[in-house]
Amino acid sequence: MAPRETNPNFMNGVPELLILRLLQHQEMYGYEIVQAIRERTDEVIAIGEGVVYPVLHGLESEGALSSRRKTVNGRNRIYYSVTARGARRLADLHQTWTDLATAIQKVVGGGQYAKAVPGIA
Amino acid sequence: MQKPFQELRERLLRGGVAPRHVRRYLNELADHLADLTKEEERAGRSTSDAEAAAIVRLGTVEHLAKAMLERRRFRSWCARAPWAMFSVTPLVFLLAAYLVSALILWSGWLMFIPAADTPFGQTPPRISSLGNIYFQIGRMIYFTAPVVIGLAIGLVAVRQRLRTVWPVIGIALVAWMGGTAQIHASRSAVPHGPYIALSFFVSPPDQTLTQTLLHIVVYFALIATTYLILRMRSVHSLAQ
Repeated sequence: MAPRETNPNFMNGVPELLILRLLQHQEMYGYEIVQAIRERTDEVIAIGEGVVYPVLHGLESEGALSSRRKTVNGRNRIYYSVTARGARRLADLHQTWTDLATAIQKVVGGGQYAKAVPGIA
Repeated sequence: MQKPFQELRERLLRGGVAPRHVRRYLNELADHLADLTKEEERAGRSTSDAEAAAIVRLGTVEHLAKAMLERRRFRSWCARAPWAMFSVTPLVFLLAAYLVSALILWSGWLMFIPAADTPFGQTPPRISSLGNIYFQIGRMIYFTAPVVIGLAIGLVAVRQRLRTVWPVIGIALVAWMGGTAQIHASRSAVPHGPYIALSFFVSPPDQTLTQTLLHIVVYFALIATTYLILRMRSVHSLAQ
């Protein structure tokens, strides 16, 4: 599937959710995070790659992430990992997203409200 | 610095993002760009094509700037509250410097010339060399504090690409406070002496209004000229 820009209006909170989930068990640096998002979403979610850093910095300043410098293969990189506060934030975001997805699925996938939409059984 | 990053840096600084956040963002973007370029080269592109593709994947200057500018927590205090950073804060620092200077004068008076009616006008041999050095440190703080604090205002303003209005107001206030500041110290001037006092913003009683205005103008001209030179150099280096 060709990469495309995801509608930012539907992306509120999604980059934070994906980043926190990816970093939950493994520390990563920015490039790794973006590539992991591309691969694991089959490139359905394609954010401008540089835009990930303000999200990372924002999460760090909220205390949801911590960072450390690490030199790997002669390159000095900043690795991010989830803090205890970040784990709680991830749980909240995950719950919100699950509720939202369930609600949308009820309308799109069937049920009494779907009948009002032509073409949906 | 690569051109897209230079443009991005200017947009972020002019948008009020704190320099430390800008520096970190650009450093990480540069690393990311290097990784993307290598990835594109591994995919068989030439170096120039790989660089061009990497820049496209990184995002446009517009998007990269917007992502940072819409997060208000990255804005500097100079952008959030310029009135506080360029009017109140410098005056607080100047007051602190004058208090340190007055403390040195007071303690030196008690330690080196306890019998003198006033610490002013005391010169060797009536005062020891050590005492003289001690008092000169206080004098140096007293006379250089307005210049140092005024220059700090100018440096911060240039570094953060701020408009001239607030720095000039700050420099004018510092020059006014510095030009009118005076320390009074006497043992016999009040019944229960000795006493030491600081006064600001009004013409000192032992000076004419012209002398006071001259002090203010000298401080303002010195600081404002240096600030303008720094600003012109910054504009010139960006134009290149």
